[in-house]
Amino acid sequence: MRSPSYSVPRTRALRSLTVLALAAGALAAVPPAQADTAAPGPAAKPYMGWSSWSMQSSKYPGLNPDGDYSYLTEANVLKQADALAAKLKKYGYEYVNIDAGWWRDKNWTPHFDRYARQQADPVRFPRGMKAVADHIHAKGLKAGIYLPVGLEKEAYDKGAAPIWNAPGCTTADIVHADLRTTNGWDSAYKLDFTKPCAQKYIDSQARMFADWGYDFLKLDGVGPGSSKSGENYDNVADVAAWQQAIAATGRPIHLELSWSLDYGHVADWKKYSQGWRIDTDVECYCNTLVSWENSVDDRFDDAPAWARHAGPGGWTDLDSLDVGNGAMDGLTKAERQTYATLWAIAKSPLYTGDDLTRLDPYGLSLLTNTEVIAVDQSDAPPAVPVTPSDPQQVWAAKNPDGTLTVALFNLADAPAAVTADFSALGFTGKAAVRDLWNHENLGTHRDRISQALPAHGSRLFKVTPRGQALTWSGVEAEDPANTLAGNASVAGCSACSGGKKVGNLYQGGRLTFHDVVVPKAGTYQIRVSYISGDARSALVSANGNGSTRHTFASTGDWGTVTTVHVPVSLKAGANTLTFDSGSGYAPDIDRIDVPKSS
Amino acid sequence: MTPRPTDPSGRPVPPGPSGPSVPTDPRRRSLLSLAATAGLTAALGGLPAFTASAAPRRPTGEPAPSSPRDRLWWRAPGDERSLIEQGLPVGNGRLGALASNDPGRELLLVTDATMWTGGLNDTLDSDGQFPYGRADFGSLTLLARLTVDLPDHDLSGVHGYRRTLDLAQGLVTADYVRSGVTYRRQIFASRPDDAIVLHFTQSGGGRYTGTVTLEGTHGEQPAAGGSFGATLPNDLRYGAAVKAYGSGGRIRVNGPRIEFSGCADLTVVLSGGTNYAPDADSGYRDPALAPEALARAKVAAAARHPAGTLLRTHVADYRRLYERLSLSLGTSTDAQRSLDTWERLAARARDGAPDPELEALYLQYGRYLMISGSRGSLPMGLQGLWLDGNDPDWMGDYHTDINIQMNYWMADRAGLSPCFDAFADYCLAQLPAWTDLTRRLFDDPRNRYRNSTGKVAGWTVAISTNPYGGGGWWWHPAGNAWLSNSLYEHYEYTGSREYLAKIYPLLKGACAFWEARLLTVAAPDGPGEVLIADSDWSPEHGPLDAKGITYAQELVWALFGNYTEAAAVLGEDAGYARTVAGLRDRLYLPRVSPTTGWLEEWMSPDNLGETTHRHLSPLVGLFPGDRIRPDGSTPKEIVDGARALLTARGMESFGWANAWRALCWARLKNAEKAYQLVADNLRPSSGGSNGTAFNLFDIYETERGRGIFQIDANFGTPAAMIEMLLYSRPGHIELLPALPAAWAASGSVTGVPVRGGFVVDLRWREGTPTEARVRSVGGRTTTVVFGGASRPVRLAPGEAVTLKGFTR
Repeated sequence: MRSPSYSVPRTRALRSLTVLALAAGALAAVPPAQADTAAPGPAAKPYMGWSSWSMQSSKYPGLNPDGDYSYLTEANVLKQADALAAKLKKYGYEYVNIDAGWWRDKNWTPHFDRYARQQADPVRFPRGMKAVADHIHAKGLKAGIYLPVGLEKEAYDKGAAPIWNAPGCTTADIVHADLRTTNGWDSAYKLDFTKPCAQKYIDSQARMFADWGYDFLKLDGVGPGSSKSGENYDNVADVAAWQQAIAATGRPIHLELSWSLDYGHVADWKKYSQGWRIDTDVECYCNTLVSWENSVDDRFDDAPAWARHAGPGGWTDLDSLDVGNGAMDGLTKAERQTYATLWAIAKSPLYTGDDLTRLDPYGLSLLTNTEVIAVDQSDAPPAVPVTPSDPQQVWAAKNPDGTLTVALFNLADAPAAVTADFSALGFTGKAAVRDLWNHENLGTHRDRISQALPAHGSRLFKVTPRGQALTWSGVEAEDPANTLAGNASVAGCSACSGGKKVGNLYQGGRLTFHDVVVPKAGTYQIRVSYISGDARSALVSANGNGSTRHTFASTGDWGTVTTVHVPVSLKAGANTLTFDSGSGYAPDIDRIDVPKSS
Repeated sequence: MTPRPTDPSGRPVPPGPSGPSVPTDPRRRSLLSLAATAGLTAALGGLPAFTASAAPRRPTGEPAPSSPRDRLWWRAPGDERSLIEQGLPVGNGRLGALASNDPGRELLLVTDATMWTGGLNDTLDSDGQFPYGRADFGSLTLLARLTVDLPDHDLSGVHGYRRTLDLAQGLVTADYVRSGVTYRRQIFASRPDDAIVLHFTQSGGGRYTGTVTLEGTHGEQPAAGGSFGATLPNDLRYGAAVKAYGSGGRIRVNGPRIEFSGCADLTVVLSGGTNYAPDADSGYRDPALAPEALARAKVAAAARHPAGTLLRTHVADYRRLYERLSLSLGTSTDAQRSLDTWERLAARARDGAPDPELEALYLQYGRYLMISGSRGSLPMGLQGLWLDGNDPDWMGDYHTDINIQMNYWMADRAGLSPCFDAFADYCLAQLPAWTDLTRRLFDDPRNRYRNSTGKVAGWTVAISTNPYGGGGWWWHPAGNAWLSNSLYEHYEYTGSREYLAKIYPLLKGACAFWEARLLTVAAPDGPGEVLIADSDWSPEHGPLDAKGITYAQELVWALFGNYTEAAAVLGEDAGYARTVAGLRDRLYLPRVSPTTGWLEEWMSPDNLGETTHRHLSPLVGLFPGDRIRPDGSTPKEIVDGARALLTARGMESFGWANAWRALCWARLKNAEKAYQLVADNLRPSSGGSNGTAFNLFDIYETERGRGIFQIDANFGTPAAMIEMLLYSRPGHIELLPALPAAWAASGSVTGVPVRGGFVVDLRWREGTPTEARVRSVGGRTTTVVFGGASRPVRLAPGEAVTLKGFTR
């Protein structure tokens, strides 16, 4: 649970330019995302801060002595705010976000004012919510608060509660007559925005937060998403109402949406909010804050498709970054670094859920690595995978200055070498490599950078190409010289080069390119342009030799082409190259491009 | 052996390996004085045990550098949770370890060959068979766990990591760079110093700060003063000790740890062992031996020398064995050479292109494991000296229905005859107990395999054996013949009359067992009577109570022949030898099924088992026996029936089953099938699939996603590779009997022992020998065969002859 709120997006036109450029090629040169030099708009960069939910949701000994979620109190929030100010503020962390439960007692019984608006639980927040925000502001920080979407059932009060500043409106006038429920928990009645009173209710809540001095609202349980679909769970109108209500307050309040937002509505989320959680909670609800499998590792599969939609004004939210204390986090050192690496290169908001009073030295070093924070906060687009989403994978982003941000990941359960071939980064020859986590120049490398990574480990580099741009020769999948087998067939595809692709690669479907010509034998990084609305794998082989199964990350929908580079061992001269679905389902293939050198 | 946890056959099977948990609560014992220990161990001298060792010979001068062709290398360390696939093995023949080589945390899982739970296990289950649990039968377990923590050396913070196993020196090395300093560690297990040595160095002004921790794995009290000792519930005492020394900085023992800081270099020496003694009369214990004290004495003695001296001593000792055989199977490409070992395995499997240098390295890796795992103590069981926990599958035991035999097929063939001794010594030390158990328990009326003659004599074994004279799982009547034949074959290679005299009682006891067991029945094909084996199970499928199974008939036929030859050589028991020869003449031998065309497995024309079963038991006369020879001396229909059966068994198996198939195809001179099976074993294992792990251990997928390390294929596959190059039996040497196209262009092998008492060096080009040098190590006459032409060779011991001019 969680979400931040804020003010109205203003840079839509610029961001759609960015999106177009990204769609043209994963690492195509991208115009600097923040072209204008005027005062930054809302969420010009991914926000940074702290959130209360990780500790609230954990069964780590001592955190919630008065029952589940009881960590959330004024004393604890202010303690964390003080620690944030003392230790992390100078690195850019500024938001202190209060998550779910601030209006509920330890038995989760809510409090509302007479206008059906959430009110602080007097035990948790004896001085009310404004006093908390004031304290946070006094530390030079920003304050965040939380709400579930919809009219909470307990606030309905038989439909009789008046709406603040809306004469004639009661709770009966803001919901559907049949009291249909909404949100990820079905804990609220769905608001009916065909009724003018509904917007008034949202206005009244926004006004309250603005009066209290909050800078951020997380709107949670939002659908489509939050494990829900269907008309009752379509909260786009709620989100739009919040945007409008916040704007009307005149106070910039960052609006963050949660959770597992529907990819098909990304345009709505971009239009009305500053960030969208793309996955379920990162927390494990277990004896630690998180665990690798539940669910840090999911983000590697889910983040790529969203990357092209992120930019100034709105960002992919990967959820809390709980890397500050190994024992509490429940992660190895390698996993903590990897977690922070993905968040930084995906340009996710960086908000930790750790106990900031108990950061261990390694955790502090992860949260305060200025070179890594700079990747997150830079003007470059989010990184995307340049290799298939196999256990060893490479992600990259091209920076405005011509350098590349390159991350190596080993998601396997055992150490492995991971290699970034420069040809998969679009150039050949030499490059200077800097290790960002270790603040160390690694000198000049030729053709590739390869390192040993621990289980679930990572590396993060800045690569400065000193070689030549790579040249490619492309072959369309629909080229009549290719061979199709099984169900495979050519289909129209407006997003594809040549307007066509080869699809229906399932259960024995096979596409073979002939005459893939290279000058000399070697391993080549073949650039594969593909479409896949979900993550799929294919068996790739050359010349009828043994095949290797590669997983292709979801492109989010069936209308977007993405590229990754697949290593293939080729002989000098003509080769065949086969994509075989095997017994499963493979992505649709648009084309391949073969580099002119290995 | 069968994957009993998941036996798909649905047939009755004995209890799986997941028996009672490993015993804990060891009791600490007071220490005997070092002086008393030394006195006793001197008395035991020569027996395989953890004993005081003589002062090593210290070579002078640097060892010759090894070639990159002798090295395996990797670009990632091992993970603590998957050391069985990623740890690099070291061993001094008795004391072994798997090393993680993680920069920040070097972890060694240490095993002693004698670190066994269990005991004599002489109370049979209700079915007349043996219990098979970790407390009664026992299990090989870990001796200790050693960690060297270097908190600032996390893998995530170092660059250029590389780890190497130098097969020519028996040396593991890991290098990496951190903040501009190159760090290197070397790990080796020294037989002369009876210790495992870790040597940490650096260049560039770095320093080592961290801790060394030695721990037991059986719930012992923490180590104190750098050592620990305890006693297992079976009264086996054990202990281990560690010592650290270096230059610069500070090193001090602090409770269970040794702390070091600011050291320019660091040496860590570990030793340990048990008070196991290979002596049935003493209950397989040396009551006077204090392992912890002995371990302390050993590390103290080693620590008087700089690591470089320890390394030179080790390398000189190791090389004396390693260099007995050299091998080239051809030249690999530069692209293949540029890959690390793991990538190279993957490329080999993916591209299907031969990688002759990798294939030769795989053979040499098997030799490395043999030298490291089988010297001066117990022989290697299912996992050799290398465990990652105290619950190895099938106890890490000695399986007598293929696995231990396969482990040692390659010892003589690959020039490592001295490593065979552990196997022979083991059998001889067990013989009194095996004889006693057989006499007392074999005719138990509940035992379905008992002798229906009512007579019992000699000895036999169970399918599993432990080092305490005990058996596990089911009786295995023909196991005695197979063990005997394996031991006899070693005599055929070495020609040592002294050795033959040593094993003679074992052969004779096996013959006595069969003399009492064989049944006289009417010959199935016509007049007269034949002798057949009583009820038995052809390993490990088909009917449980079949008489005259081919497996037993063939093994006993070979046993009787070996015995009569041994009696003749030694001039012993002429009368009994005639009796045995007479029995042999009357033994029924398998025929070819008119139904299937296969050599029969059950004295029945019908296929009563699994067509593609892993075991090749009915082909035991093709390999390792050589009754069935495709050279005209065996009736063609028998050879054809063997080939048809082997064909039916298929090419799709795993590890040892593939290796055995490759050996059989080599015997049938089908080079490409043999090579395919070798190549299949080289396929990289992923997610537990059959094939070769990261560290080159062979993995057997017993159920989907669950791979088990079994070392037999690491030895059986090299044995097959040698058999493809040279086939021998006394009086007969065949050159290149099954040379695959992949190795045909050019190659050489030197130092290959052959049966009959010779050693052969062989070179070839375009599939034809260019030169064969035959040297006598005791043999006098033999015949060298290639391409249908035979050349007689007559040599005095020590003489050699070089033959040339071979043509197809």
